[in-house]
Amino acid sequence: MAERHPHPKSFPHKEGGTSSPVSSPSLPGGGRGRGMGRSQTARSARWENIARGLYRFRSNRLSMIGLMMLICILLIAVFAPVIAPYPEDAAGKTRVSARLQPPSEDFAFGTDKVGRDIFSRVVMGAGLALQVGTVIILLATSIGVTIGAISGYAGGWIDDLLMRVTDIFLTVPALVLAIAISAALGKGIINAMIGISLVWWPGFARLTRSLVLSLREEPFVEAAYGIGAGHMRIIFRHILPNAVSPIIIKMTTDFGFAVLTAAALGFIGLGAQPPTPEWGAMINDGRRYFPDEWWIATFPGLAIWLMVFSWNLIGDGLRDVLDPRSRR
Amino acid sequence: MNIRVYILRRIALIIPTLIGLSVLTFSIARIVPGDPVGLAAGPRATEEIKEALRREFGFDQPLPIQYVSYMAGLFRGDWGESLYTRRKVVSELRAFWPATLELTTAAVIIATLLGVPAGVISAMYRNRLPDHVARVLSLFFVSFPSFWLAMIFQTWFGRDLGLFPIGKRLPVLVSPPAPTTGLFLIDSLVQLDFETFLVSLRHLFIPALVLSFGAFASITRITRASMVEALEKDFVRMERAIGIPYRVIIFKYVLRNALIATITVISLNFGWLMAGAILIETIFDWPGLGLYAVHASLSLDFQPIMGIAILYGVVFSVVNILTDIVYGILDPRIRYG
Repeated sequence: MAERHPHPKSFPHKEGGTSSPVSSPSLPGGGRGRGMGRSQTARSARWENIARGLYRFRSNRLSMIGLMMLICILLIAVFAPVIAPYPEDAAGKTRVSARLQPPSEDFAFGTDKVGRDIFSRVVMGAGLALQVGTVIILLATSIGVTIGAISGYAGGWIDDLLMRVTDIFLTVPALVLAIAISAALGKGIINAMIGISLVWWPGFARLTRSLVLSLREEPFVEAAYGIGAGHMRIIFRHILPNAVSPIIIKMTTDFGFAVLTAAALGFIGLGAQPPTPEWGAMINDGRRYFPDEWWIATFPGLAIWLMVFSWNLIGDGLRDVLDPRSRR
Repeated sequence: MNIRVYILRRIALIIPTLIGLSVLTFSIARIVPGDPVGLAAGPRATEEIKEALRREFGFDQPLPIQYVSYMAGLFRGDWGESLYTRRKVVSELRAFWPATLELTTAAVIIATLLGVPAGVISAMYRNRLPDHVARVLSLFFVSFPSFWLAMIFQTWFGRDLGLFPIGKRLPVLVSPPAPTTGLFLIDSLVQLDFETFLVSLRHLFIPALVLSFGAFASITRITRASMVEALEKDFVRMERAIGIPYRVIIFKYVLRNALIATITVISLNFGWLMAGAILIETIFDWPGLGLYAVHASLSLDFQPIMGIAILYGVVFSVVNILTDIVYGILDPRIRYG
């Protein structure tokens, strides 16, 4: 990585990025590799890349704003039961006497058709949205990385077969297949998450395969093979650890869109079912009352936007960390 | 390789993918834990009626046989029948598809018209104010849930300002142009019916604008990145040295070099927006595949869903082939092989 970096000057260390700022003090100042244990070199090189990445990320003001927004959302999600004035409304408690109230002192975001406090439901929905995004991304990553790693490492007909399967999923826009799978599994937030994950993995498979293809040719893989390491050990201990950062970055850039897709399914009526405080389903709920009782659908929509925007800001900065060419 | 041979080979390569897709949609439709027949027959249907329906739709046959007859139907142009409307899926797709195609194409055009200049400006003013503004704006708009923004725009531009109609493709009293392509804009132009053309353009604009936001960010980003890369090529320095005006360099030479990557992203976006149209159509009551797909999926009506997935697969593959052809026109250095 260091040698290919086009602008060594942008890195704050005088040695031009060849020494590691965080590795053990026994490292000689100028070069790396010679005379050291292999694993130590690998580790220090990795640390160096992480430190460089962190620096690039921190110097991107927009991404830092995104990160701060996300931390705020996270705090809101954690302390939701304390912040929400009527936390029981998320579970579906009704208050018929106060139905369809506009925003007021009692109900900051107004109330819906059965008198539930929109503000409480939006706040209580933050944790749900984060969980939904996390589950989708983790499931999609585990499927995609496994298939991509096998495909890239094995090569030959296994690679052909797995990539053809991946292509089939990529021929149809994800949302269409997600709708079909979620509909088949039955309405509900869990099934929607499964449906979205099942169409989300091909991107991760393609990415992992391309990373594994180039890493497979590295001398350290040959060396590991030479000392008798098995295929599983080579894939999991030697190849995948070196492919982690691009995968993590894709997980981050995809997160916002996964949240949007889940909300879309909720909006269609396939995802979360009432009274779950899922933002997409809440918009669907408020649609009949829009625009006269505008607050029912407006605030959940703003909440979705805020979360997706913060993830996209973070992802935008992370992408530059991975690919310095994309922003210079 | 000759371009004609290349295109034929690409078309031949779609076929295994589409067969795979039909297996996939078929498996999705048949692992249904719910009871589609019971749903279609209604709550009062007796067991005999359900049994008869099952036999009529072939659900009582073993799965491989069901698949083979489904496949055979696909090739014959018989894509099954909707459990719900009891109409042929093919004729319904034919009726709804042009509206979705028109909406998606318009959105892709708007996204390109907004995104490419934004990317060019970003690259020209790299890391200066216009660059940051374009970047924030594109991320800002792509983060909205499209279906929500559609509601807001519908109310603002349609109801409050009264600038645009609030939905549908044409007013109730205006009869659509005689269908040649099914795209109202093209049909009305062909028949020199400018009034209908303008009316349908007004109906199309807001839905297409909202839909286009989904593609704005990625088009801006890729245009900027490839412009930046092209700007650092030696030929740019040479052209500047011999005194060609900067604007000419940008638009005549650099942009053309940068557009290859942009066109890839635009064609990918076509597929994504085609899916996004499903959401937009439900808001604007746009009589396309979206409303049809949503209704079918909520009522577990799988023949239409399978049909839509396969149609989307075919269209997306065709778009990809067209993209490859456009590459060759834009960049004569590209050889097909």
